[in-house]
Amino acid sequence: MIFQANPIEQLVAVLGYWDRLFSGFLLTMWMYIWALILGFFLGLFLALLRQYGHPSKRWWFIPPFDKISTVYIEIFRGTPLIAQLFFFFYLPNALNISPDIVVLNTSFNLFNREINLKLLDYPIFIGILALSLNSGAYQAEYLRGSLISVGTGQLEAAKSIGMSRLSSIRHIVLPQALRRVIPSWSNEAAYLPKYTVLVYFIGGVEELFSQADFIQHRTFFPLTTYIIVAIMFIIIITLISKLLDVIHKRTGIPGL
Amino acid sequence: MVEPLLKISDVWKSYDDLQVLKGVSLELLERDVKVIFGPSGSGKSTLLRCINMLNPPDKGEIYLRGNNITIPKVDLNAIRTRIGMVFQHFNLFTHLKAIDNVSIGLRRVKGLKKKEANEKALKALGRVKLTEWAEHYPAQLSGGQKQRVGIARALAMEPDVILFDEPTSALDPELIGEVLQVMLDLAKAGTTMLVVTHEMGFARAVASELIFIDEGIIIEKGTSKHFSVSPKSERVKQFLRKLDVLYGSHEKLLDDSEEEEKG
Repeated sequence: MIFQANPIEQLVAVLGYWDRLFSGFLLTMWMYIWALILGFFLGLFLALLRQYGHPSKRWWFIPPFDKISTVYIEIFRGTPLIAQLFFFFYLPNALNISPDIVVLNTSFNLFNREINLKLLDYPIFIGILALSLNSGAYQAEYLRGSLISVGTGQLEAAKSIGMSRLSSIRHIVLPQALRRVIPSWSNEAAYLPKYTVLVYFIGGVEELFSQADFIQHRTFFPLTTYIIVAIMFIIIITLISKLLDVIHKRTGIPGL
Repeated sequence: MVEPLLKISDVWKSYDDLQVLKGVSLELLERDVKVIFGPSGSGKSTLLRCINMLNPPDKGEIYLRGNNITIPKVDLNAIRTRIGMVFQHFNLFTHLKAIDNVSIGLRRVKGLKKKEANEKALKALGRVKLTEWAEHYPAQLSGGQKQRVGIARALAMEPDVILFDEPTSALDPELIGEVLQVMLDLAKAGTTMLVVTHEMGFARAVASELIFIDEGIIIEKGTSKHFSVSPKSERVKQFLRKLDVLYGSHEKLLDDSEEEEKG
């Protein structure tokens, strides 16, 4: 252990690659935010279908949307995310399709270092896609729980003044359900940055873990490198949780 | 003969194996106030829920101003704007202020502009004496105030008839009075009302007819005088005695009956 540098030296060596840590972090957050937002709308759609998509006798020709939604949710919650990532990554090739994904690059200068960031290419697209489809399944269940919690009395009251089902859901149930879902939904918001890490395994995506891998091979300080990465996660997830707390309080219904 | 505003003819309803309504018929004229009472589980609430088709009946017809509303092609949402409903547990929209609870139907169903809807909603809140509470959320109101908002919500739609499903039975005794007062005012102003309640004082004051339901059938109908003086069936007598014990408020009824005997 003669060559083992002291912790401060290790820290300085690893942080010397701050531009890589930073660009990796930005790419991870970029994929995370897309997956969270797309997953939210997908999840909302799935939750509404699963909760209210039961076909009525009058409209027998409409497919059982609630069942379809349930099957989707169970498939995506029942299989590993990494398998889903690989599945979507290799699927086009297996089908002899060569997907044409636009490549988006950006670069900027920060403290005399040029930071190059690839925002979109095939693997990044697959990463965002698989994460969204997966997160949507989990978010659907958080949302469905809060839809149920609003209670049938609200829908009945809306019905009793002549509101249509769609209008009742839109104007009565959703405003309440979306407020209520925030505390439990914050689970997904806090999990997803860490799931985003798995995109590393499909390769060629220069997100935080691939940058960390690069740095630890250059510096030979894996422990320090990954501790710094972990600290970055703690900071961002704490900030996300705080932000959601604030939103929850701000949107609270007076008197409740 | 005057056409009844609401005519319920031989309505049957079951939930799975449980037969709740077994052929109930009744009529309500314009400006009529009728009270339905009876033991719990007798089908009173189910009857109201059949009338505005929240739970459509299995058999039988319901006519609103002569139109059968139980046939499939009827636009139920349009029908429900004409049949108001006041719930036992208020069912106010918790995320909306009192004024918006009352105006949302006007805006989203009747398509009124916000300003116009708010004016009408304020008027309705005025009728339940809650104008000053318009900007409060349901969680900031007392039970009695909540129920009055519930009544205003039904009133604002200007329905042909309002159904009341035990409007005071979830309230503290002290708050019952203010709700009953509002209902009395409405009745005196000519609102057509079908009220499920055990408030015999209210019934005596405004109801043209009391209807006693048990096990899904109408056992006995009559004026409040009839029920206080000479109820026929044993079941009704038994039930009224229980109400007596529970509320201890039937001395007045007993007085009535003594008068009747003397007279």
